[in-house]
Amino acid sequence: MIRLSGAGAFEIAARVIPTFRADPPRTAHYAAFRDASGALLDRGIYLVFPGPRSETGEDVVEFQCHGGLSVPARLVAAIEAAGARPAHPGEFTRRAVTNGKLDLLQAEALGDLIDAEAPAQAAAALTQLEGGLSRRIGELRAALIELLALLAYDVDFPEEDDGPVSRDRIEAARAAVAAGVERLLGTAPLAERVRRGALVVLAGPPNAGKSSLFNALLGRERALVTEVAGTTRDAIEAHVDFHGWPIRLVDTAGLGETSDRIEALGQEMSRRFADGADLVVVCDDGSAGGRLGDSAIGRLVVRTKADLGGEGEGLPVSALTGEGLPELKRAIVERLFQRGAGFADLEPALTRERHREALTGAREALARTAEQLGPGGESVLAAHHVQEAVRALDSLVGSVDVEEVLDRVFSSFCVGK
Amino acid sequence: MDQYDVIVIGGGHAGAEAARAAAATGVRTLLLTQNLETIGQMSCNPAIGGIAKGTVVREVDALGGIMGRATDRAMIQFRMLNRSKGPAVWSPRAQCDRGLYRRAVRHLLEREARLSFAQGTAVELLLDAGAIVGARTREGHTFAARAIVVTAGTFLRGRIHLGLDSGVGAGRAGDPPSVELSQAIAKYGLTIERFKTGTPPRIDGRSVDLSRFPRQDGDPGGYRFSHHERSAPLPQLPCYLAWAEGAVKEVVAASLGESALYGGEISGRGPRYCPSIEDKIVKFRDAERHQLFLEPEGLETTELYVNGLSTSLPLTVQERMVHAVPGLESARITRPGYAIEYDYLPPTQLHHSLESRAIRRLYFAGQVNGTTGYEEAAGQGLMAGLNAARATRALEPIVLRRDQAMIGVLIDDLVTRGVDEPYRLFTSRAEYRLLLRQDNALRRLLPLAETTGLLGGEELIAAGARLRSEEAVLNLAGTVSIAPIAANPILEAAAGRGVAHPTRVRELARRSGVSLATLLQATGWSGPDESAEWADIELKYEGYLERERAAAGRLETLEDFHLDPQLPYTTFHTLSMEARQKLAANPPGTLGAAGRVPGISPADIQNLVIEVTKWRRNLEHCLAQG
Repeated sequence: MIRLSGAGAFEIAARVIPTFRADPPRTAHYAAFRDASGALLDRGIYLVFPGPRSETGEDVVEFQCHGGLSVPARLVAAIEAAGARPAHPGEFTRRAVTNGKLDLLQAEALGDLIDAEAPAQAAAALTQLEGGLSRRIGELRAALIELLALLAYDVDFPEEDDGPVSRDRIEAARAAVAAGVERLLGTAPLAERVRRGALVVLAGPPNAGKSSLFNALLGRERALVTEVAGTTRDAIEAHVDFHGWPIRLVDTAGLGETSDRIEALGQEMSRRFADGADLVVVCDDGSAGGRLGDSAIGRLVVRTKADLGGEGEGLPVSALTGEGLPELKRAIVERLFQRGAGFADLEPALTRERHREALTGAREALARTAEQLGPGGESVLAAHHVQEAVRALDSLVGSVDVEEVLDRVFSSFCVGK
Repeated sequence: MDQYDVIVIGGGHAGAEAARAAAATGVRTLLLTQNLETIGQMSCNPAIGGIAKGTVVREVDALGGIMGRATDRAMIQFRMLNRSKGPAVWSPRAQCDRGLYRRAVRHLLEREARLSFAQGTAVELLLDAGAIVGARTREGHTFAARAIVVTAGTFLRGRIHLGLDSGVGAGRAGDPPSVELSQAIAKYGLTIERFKTGTPPRIDGRSVDLSRFPRQDGDPGGYRFSHHERSAPLPQLPCYLAWAEGAVKEVVAASLGESALYGGEISGRGPRYCPSIEDKIVKFRDAERHQLFLEPEGLETTELYVNGLSTSLPLTVQERMVHAVPGLESARITRPGYAIEYDYLPPTQLHHSLESRAIRRLYFAGQVNGTTGYEEAAGQGLMAGLNAARATRALEPIVLRRDQAMIGVLIDDLVTRGVDEPYRLFTSRAEYRLLLRQDNALRRLLPLAETTGLLGGEELIAAGARLRSEEAVLNLAGTVSIAPIAANPILEAAAGRGVAHPTRVRELARRSGVSLATLLQATGWSGPDESAEWADIELKYEGYLERERAAAGRLETLEDFHLDPQLPYTTFHTLSMEARQKLAANPPGTLGAAGRVPGISPADIQNLVIEVTKWRRNLEHCLAQG
């Protein structure tokens, strides 16, 4: 499919489609596509979307032609010759944002949807794209405006029928919005994990069967496996999904005494990976393990080579027979994503560092607001800090207008003599 | 034919300031009004100042204007609103004697040697090649002028209503409207729309027993709005508090159909913050009672203004309504309340100088621009008069920035955002309200008052000395230390911890509730309290003020980015559709102004910079190619 968007879309399309009609819109038309000399390029379908009711908000024409190498390329060339230019990467999305069809958060989600590998990532991106996060941020902004209105009333309307508004009421409003900010911030670790894929590191002593388990979890031979301890010297990363959840699985060099310099470097790398991991799967065939760093979620101990019998703590798994693998995958998912299969109930969440920084800024500003609502504080300074919180959220979506604040005052209080 | 540089049409609060400002800068100025007796008339409540507005009065005064001086001369009660809420939002307000106020304005205007007065009704604006050349009156007089400031208030096709089928043409009760001038303005392609507002009844003070109401007295002390003159204090009068309760609600609710506002007689929009009693009762049905203020009209009359009872009900209903107020059972109405509908010019048709975009050297100021309030009118009038005078000398207009003056916020809001109800200032409208205080108005505006010629002579010298003495106090606070034995009683009185060692006054004055003047006096300083007010506030808010100044500095870079009037906004495809349409409809003068147009996002502003830069580069390229 070839999409043409912008002010001259219809004129340009008419040069390629001699029978072009903009009416009726959003309807499939069958037509001949021709180049400037009138030579037939293909017969296909085109659809017309007059702005602003189109994906980009501009006039859009979509061409559906036959596939292959030649036909689409010749059609694109003809459209370019008729006055269009190729879109820059992400340009359609950018135009949708500038024309108000998508907000910034939705545009990010669109990028996430396109990049999604695991079904859970796609589901999370779709939730955001549907405006879930924008709505949450919108609710917080509305609560901040309510708070600003209370403060504006306090400062700008000192002699009204309703009398002064109590500090308790203002503080309750502040605490409620601060709690909302906190809740949303709480979604960040999980959501960032879903978007990036959770980093799961297989670690343990040399020759514990990490690479065998790695290959078994992957379902293909990715890591080299031998009986020689210390075969894996580098860390190997592979993207995989367990029950639809995105995992970046890393096989590392075994940790133990070694005189081999390269193996020692590999072990150092293992420690660093383990430090940054969301979950470390400690593989132990019963022999004593080396030191492993703490990770964000912690550790999951498995007893490898369960087919050989053996005793010890941890979930028994066998790369050879497949014993325990489904249980291990489920345990990993539960530990990392706090739920089993199914991600229909994914909540809107902070998926990026940028979101987390904005909400953290709002949290700090609301803490300073609380100080100014206490003894010796001043409403005008409290409002100053609420404005800071608003600006922090503004960086995620649009900006708050003073008229919104005054509208809240006028609809909430009977003001004026 | 009489020849003037600037003619000001209208003698209300905008007109008086416009005429004074123009004349003070040295141009020949005429104040043309329907009735010379009503120059400086307070058409609505007999009070000046209040939240944000009090700061405007101080700014007008800093720029040499007359409102602060006239208020001081007519002040019969003073209150500092928000006194308990921190000095950043202290708001001075005065009840005034209406007659004394009017006389003070007339007296102050007549001090201007370059100002003439003429009674007459302007009916025609004379143009040559799209620019003002004069005005003609109904009486047949033609005045030549190089600039005109229209400050017609609510007079343009004004129509007042009491009940149904009672609409009467009037600019305010007792004065005829101005119909022809409105038509003359519309003829030149300016858009005119309708607003409404209202006023409450007034009553004979001899017909009520004031001892039945709680008194509201003014603050003690000698606050003055004016930085330049210290008029003798007048006897002070109290206001009285009353309440409209259930019985009033019943009368109003039963008669709503007879209200001009609710009976469909009036279509224009009114101000939400100045609602009629009908509005209050309909929109806030659950409110048990509405507060009323009985305000004195003056020293030599007992007449009272019933603030809070604005209405357009028929006189007979107004009588029943007033009598339903506990304590006013036998009150006699001296003047009924009424609603007034009037023409205003949507102010997006103006430049920031308040000059109209359509007609050169035609300026508008005050309620005719869709504002309410004497103070908002005065601020605009002063700037319009100043800029009209400057235009006649081919000088650049003066535009106050949003971080420089409340008047700057007001005018910028008007011309970039427009109005959809009569506009009133609030401190919340100012992004940098900690900078725009009543105590530092002189400091913010004195340099401008000097360079424009709005203030001169001894007053200018005295004002400069006053600022330097305030700075000396701030310096003193930074150098002098106070001993624990002197400091601790002061600190403990403010519920704070004492100190163990001598400490710089500057450090202790930062504490909430601790007065800099008191600390300094404990070290032997003998200056008056008020000379320490500015330094005290600067110390207490230091961190906040620094942040606001830094943010304002960033704003200034946006204000310095000028936007060419001929920019082809509709071709700027990286801007949102809404932004393209709004900017094309009313091209803003600067990037800052563009950012304040409702619906323009920060992303639009970023893209606009890129588009404008590209456009300029192309333009230069084309010019270079010849």
